[in-house]
Amino acid sequence: MSCGGRKPISTAKMAEEQQESSQGEMEGVNCLAYDEAIIAQQDRIQQEIATSNPLVSDRQDLSVLQSEYAEDDTVYQLKIKDLHKKYSYIRKTRPDGNCFYRAFGFAHLESLLDDSKELQKFKAVAAKSKLDLVNEGFTEFTIEDFHNTFMDLIELCEKQPRLQEVLSSFNDQNVSDYVVVYLRLLTSGYLQREHTFFQHFIEGGRTVKEFCQQEVEPMSKESDHIHIIALAQALDVSILVEYMDRGEGGTVNHHVFPEGGDPRIFLLYRPGHYDILYK
Amino acid sequence: MESKYNLKSPAVKRLMKEAAELRDPTEHYHAQPLEDNLFEWHFSVRGPPDSDFDGGVYHGRIILPPEYPMKPPSIILLTPNGRFEVGKKICLSISGHHPETWQPSWSIRTALIAIIGFMPTKGEGAIGSLDYTPEERRALAKKSQDFCCETCGCTMRSALLDLTPNSNPGAEDHTAKELAQQINFKAESSLSRESSENEGGESEPSTHTQGPSSASQEAEKDQAEQVEASQSTRAEALQTPTTPTSSDRPLSPRQRRAQQTQRESAASRAVFTPVHQPQDESHTGSAVLIVVLTLALAALIFRRIYLAHEYKFDYDL
Repeated sequence: MSCGGRKPISTAKMAEEQQESSQGEMEGVNCLAYDEAIIAQQDRIQQEIATSNPLVSDRQDLSVLQSEYAEDDTVYQLKIKDLHKKYSYIRKTRPDGNCFYRAFGFAHLESLLDDSKELQKFKAVAAKSKLDLVNEGFTEFTIEDFHNTFMDLIELCEKQPRLQEVLSSFNDQNVSDYVVVYLRLLTSGYLQREHTFFQHFIEGGRTVKEFCQQEVEPMSKESDHIHIIALAQALDVSILVEYMDRGEGGTVNHHVFPEGGDPRIFLLYRPGHYDILYK
Repeated sequence: MESKYNLKSPAVKRLMKEAAELRDPTEHYHAQPLEDNLFEWHFSVRGPPDSDFDGGVYHGRIILPPEYPMKPPSIILLTPNGRFEVGKKICLSISGHHPETWQPSWSIRTALIAIIGFMPTKGEGAIGSLDYTPEERRALAKKSQDFCCETCGCTMRSALLDLTPNSNPGAEDHTAKELAQQINFKAESSLSRESSENEGGESEPSTHTQGPSSASQEAEKDQAEQVEASQSTRAEALQTPTTPTSSDRPLSPRQRRAQQTQRESAASRAVFTPVHQPQDESHTGSAVLIVVLTLALAALIFRRIYLAHEYKFDYDL
């Protein structure tokens, strides 16, 4: 019994008696404990993932991927070979449901470190974005901390810091999560602004607003095409995603968001997860 | 208070802002941190007009986690109200029990408006929920005005701004209702995911998730241990009183079963018994039911044995 956690009892009558008598007072308490147990377990799993994966890792040789799959896993081994033709390095992100936003945020700022013209352009877009959100009905005082953190990071990049400094900011849970929240808000804001277009892509009879409140704004909700398109367009950044899954063919397929863009950042998608790729 | 906390902490920064933002009571809600703890707040909310809570002002605590606003606050009501249990963490998806749907851009104000919007919705057996009758709720609403909080020293009569006759509750009320609907919807979707994608259409109380599993387990035990005859009697006994007298109030399967046992034991008391009846009554009820069922079972077994023996005699002769 999911809610009780009692030991099995040999006869049905006793079980029934036990159940009937304890039902009343245990009902609330046990369900509460059950609920809390689930939360506690989720926390433990998160903890485990957190200790074994940094939020954003150092850049590694792409060959680390080979060892992640069995040698006779031909589908993946072939695709990794295909990936090698185009890319040389990979930077991994923690698989916590926020990986797309974190990978995007880091990869984009990294690509702007040695391009101050693009950085200034991006800074202007980012600075203006808060006002757009407020105009859309987001409460200013609740979103400004997230926006400020995001702007602080952009300003850090202006000073041409060592890459390590940006990396350590992205590995500071507070800073990193606040950036993720802000990128989620931008995604949500854009989806809602363009709701007539995006409505066609939303499943389950939900409105765009409901979709945003269930699948975009809460932390740890994974990202799909629709999120990527929205964020890419909200920030006017082009993103290329290489898709690597169990499909036949031996080659990885890529997709550029928005279509026809000239991507500066490359992400590797494996079912449920995004990492950063480098040429 | 400023000197006590690390102003670099995102939670402290945010809570300071929220405290300033909510400093003055409105007609509908007010919340402030305790003097010695920025992470515990006390709040007062006005019961929504056009509901059984009209005229009530309700007081409670909000506990903020150190990770706030990345993690949701917990809400605990202190004034008896007939909708939420007193002293227990409330199960709105906005509060600590459903952290996965909390949004960091929500605030304590959002939580307060959600509570107001949530009050007239049905409890449906969710954790921390009550389904008192409208009369009881109205009586509690009247009484709630006399409540004084010992911790924060505020009295409900003066906690909020008086409603001015020409004040328009429409806008605030509308947001509250909208938020409540949205949160309600979310609670459903998170539940339906928990119970392995069971369509997720209907509004299901959280206890429901446990309902079927416990029932089926019971049934399994029955099958293993009992004779078929007894099973049919038991099933009959459980099925006969299922014509609900309280069709207007959906109850959780467990509540329904508890009610049935009560009604069976005290057939003379054919009146509808409210769900919040003292627990001991339902215990005596179930004890009586168990005894009756056991006797019926014994009688049937004896009859079986007797019949079996008779056949045997017939055959031998």
